[in-house]
Amino acid sequence: METGTLKKKSGGTAGRHLVDLLPFLALAVLFALFCAIVKGKGYRLDIYLKTIFNQGVVLAVVATGAIFIYTLGSFDISLGASTLFAATMGVLTYNATESLPLMLLAIFGTAIACSLFSSALASAFHIPAFVTTVAMLSVLSAVSAQIITTRGGSLGGIGIPKPVVKPLDNPPFKIALLAAFFLLCFFVFQLTKAGRRQKFIGGNLVCARLTGISYNKYAILAFTMAGIGVGLGAFLTLVYTPSVTATTASGIGMSIFVAIVFGGMPISGGARSRIHAALVGGFSYILLNNILELVLEGGSAYGLTQIVSAVFFLAVVYVTSMNYRTALLPR
Amino acid sequence: MNSPILQLKEISKQFGTVIALDHVSLDVFPGEIRGLIGENGSGKSTISSIAAGMQKATSGQMFFRDEPWNPSSMIEALEGGIGMIVQESGTIPGISVAENIFLGELDTFRGRLGMIDRKEMNRQADEAMRGIGVDHVKGSMPLASLDFQTRKLVEIAKVNRKHPDILVIDETSTALSHDGREIMYRLIRRYRDEGKAVIFISHDLDEIMEVCDTLTVLRDGELIRTFTKDEFDPDAIRTSMIGRELKGDYYRSDMQPSRMQEVALSGEHLYLGEELQDVSISLHKGEIVGIGGLSSCGMHTLGKVLFGAAKPEQGTVKTADGREIKNEQTAMAEGIGYVSKDRDVESLCLSASVRDNIAIAGMDKYALGGFLITNFKEKAYVAQQVEALSIKCAGQEQLTGQLSGGNKQKVVFGKWIGCGSSILILDCPTRGVDIGVKQAMYQLMTELKQQGKAILLISEEMPELIGMSDRVLVMKDGKITKELERSPQLTDAVIIRYMI
Repeated sequence: METGTLKKKSGGTAGRHLVDLLPFLALAVLFALFCAIVKGKGYRLDIYLKTIFNQGVVLAVVATGAIFIYTLGSFDISLGASTLFAATMGVLTYNATESLPLMLLAIFGTAIACSLFSSALASAFHIPAFVTTVAMLSVLSAVSAQIITTRGGSLGGIGIPKPVVKPLDNPPFKIALLAAFFLLCFFVFQLTKAGRRQKFIGGNLVCARLTGISYNKYAILAFTMAGIGVGLGAFLTLVYTPSVTATTASGIGMSIFVAIVFGGMPISGGARSRIHAALVGGFSYILLNNILELVLEGGSAYGLTQIVSAVFFLAVVYVTSMNYRTALLPR
Repeated sequence: MNSPILQLKEISKQFGTVIALDHVSLDVFPGEIRGLIGENGSGKSTISSIAAGMQKATSGQMFFRDEPWNPSSMIEALEGGIGMIVQESGTIPGISVAENIFLGELDTFRGRLGMIDRKEMNRQADEAMRGIGVDHVKGSMPLASLDFQTRKLVEIAKVNRKHPDILVIDETSTALSHDGREIMYRLIRRYRDEGKAVIFISHDLDEIMEVCDTLTVLRDGELIRTFTKDEFDPDAIRTSMIGRELKGDYYRSDMQPSRMQEVALSGEHLYLGEELQDVSISLHKGEIVGIGGLSSCGMHTLGKVLFGAAKPEQGTVKTADGREIKNEQTAMAEGIGYVSKDRDVESLCLSASVRDNIAIAGMDKYALGGFLITNFKEKAYVAQQVEALSIKCAGQEQLTGQLSGGNKQKVVFGKWIGCGSSILILDCPTRGVDIGVKQAMYQLMTELKQQGKAILLISEEMPELIGMSDRVLVMKDGKITKELERSPQLTDAVIIRYMI
């Protein structure tokens, strides 16, 4: 649409579309590279792809829920600890009742409650939500570790009988679960007033407030959606390995942060937030880590992987923010 | 005049495929006050910001004091002799006045132990403020505690303390009230008397003709004509600016006050700090009530209180049917719209598209079942506002931050008019917009009045208040000091008598 007498046309929109496509391109390149490396090394691709999928699906599902928090311009560092705590509560509930529905209820109830508690604390004490999530990280990790070490004894973990969830440990079920949650989030995020308002809050909180949008209301929604994601992540973790240890899901909080940026979402949230960033970025991040581990085999692999991931992260942030800054040059 | 102090030769600037400047050449002479005027998006800010190091030209050459001039930043330009006061906020709210003034130079205040000597820094900041004739702003004050106008004065002091040879002032006067403008004019005259040059950008034709020696008109990125003082003619300048003659009325043509009987919004005995002291106000349907006064008189706070964005210590704000406005949500629910003076911070999300900004307030109008948003309906809704307000944009998806000041303001209007606001609180709605856009906004306000909408017009521009209001309420020190009815006899002098 061209309106008025403007003789000029914007090139910014085309540039933004190009940047929007980069995460998909990166995912495709990383996938092709991963397949080539696995085949080149003579390993079985199907087994490696299954591992990637199982790692990626948990990250993607928790990150998809977390997008709502990041969109507000906030973040939640305690998501990994919440996942661990929810899974722990699920294990305890199943072992006490031998009921799968009650286990699910415990997992989702715990996950949503943890998430909302962070939000409520932030609201009550008028402090940024990410500050309360830092406290929650410590508390939930410590409580989970206490329960697991007390009850797990020499095994170092607690679990549920494998046959309970074994029938669910297959890609179609997990894909269906991920797809259903993604579609729910996509619907709320893209097609409802609530989703639009969340993006606007992230873009300019002051303006949102002066447009009659209540931050607290949408923060509750965001943390609820994130809680559902955490619940699903905890459940999928138990489906994959029906036990939890003190280190289960420990790195998810930071991985989500990196994955969302890899997926092309601005770290400041706002109008350019995209729900698919979690999915695309989550799998890209897992692929990158696995590629680096394959390439840098040996004792130093872990450290180097972290360094290369960090460099990659900075490069992505630089490219996305450069586009944003040039688009907003004063006229 | 002698040889030019600044020469801009064939300067062009492109943003992607957008041509913001098209081979513009301009000479500025010592002792000259050069005005730049043109519609929003004409290239005034672009050319001056290139000279002041904010951005680079795509092509062309610049010479400053006969030497090639290519500053890589505004700081480098300021150190080299060209300082600029930008149109929007150029200060950082989370730090003190002194830290803003000495931003990037804090190391010069480090003592032997590496600690910043804040006392000395604050002392020098006080001195910088006094240098532009401002005594009441101290270096130790947090910038966030100052209003928009005072922040602008801090910016002026920050640039002035470097004593640049050329001072660029980009559409600053609309951010300043009467006393702030006087400070700025004194400074401009001082620069001229000292043989320095000033590039002055303004949309206010009367002001620019009064202040400037020469006037250059830009349109769509091209230099149209330069007028010398003896050639100044408002009609000729306007025609050069917009490329056609302005048709129709500028302000309202009727000179009699009119309103409906029914009160749309009222505030009773409002108190808030020193800014509101027992203020009572009623706004009728089909009425435009103007509020005038110095920037610090409390009128901007009154606008926020009436919208529910600031909570009064005492008193209530109620709608026609007695519902109390407690916060922004209740205000929205009651059909109240609020256009803030600080457009870029409070009225728009610059990183969001035109579509997002216009749609955000009006989703209830087109959401299916009250919550479901469809692309088709949303685009149609936004297109209607873009069309009705003639917003110049490359498309609905264009970032609002890329638009010119006037078109940004139209987006704000589109946001509130589209959602069917029946009460509009407009705080300096024509700040930083050109004459053509202003006329369109005045005509729109007149139409809205005729439709029975109630408008509260808070303004620091006397002609606007007189030209548009059914009643003008003059405020001073948090109180309404006078209520003046619309009449042909109402003049600036009458209003100023009660505001100072």
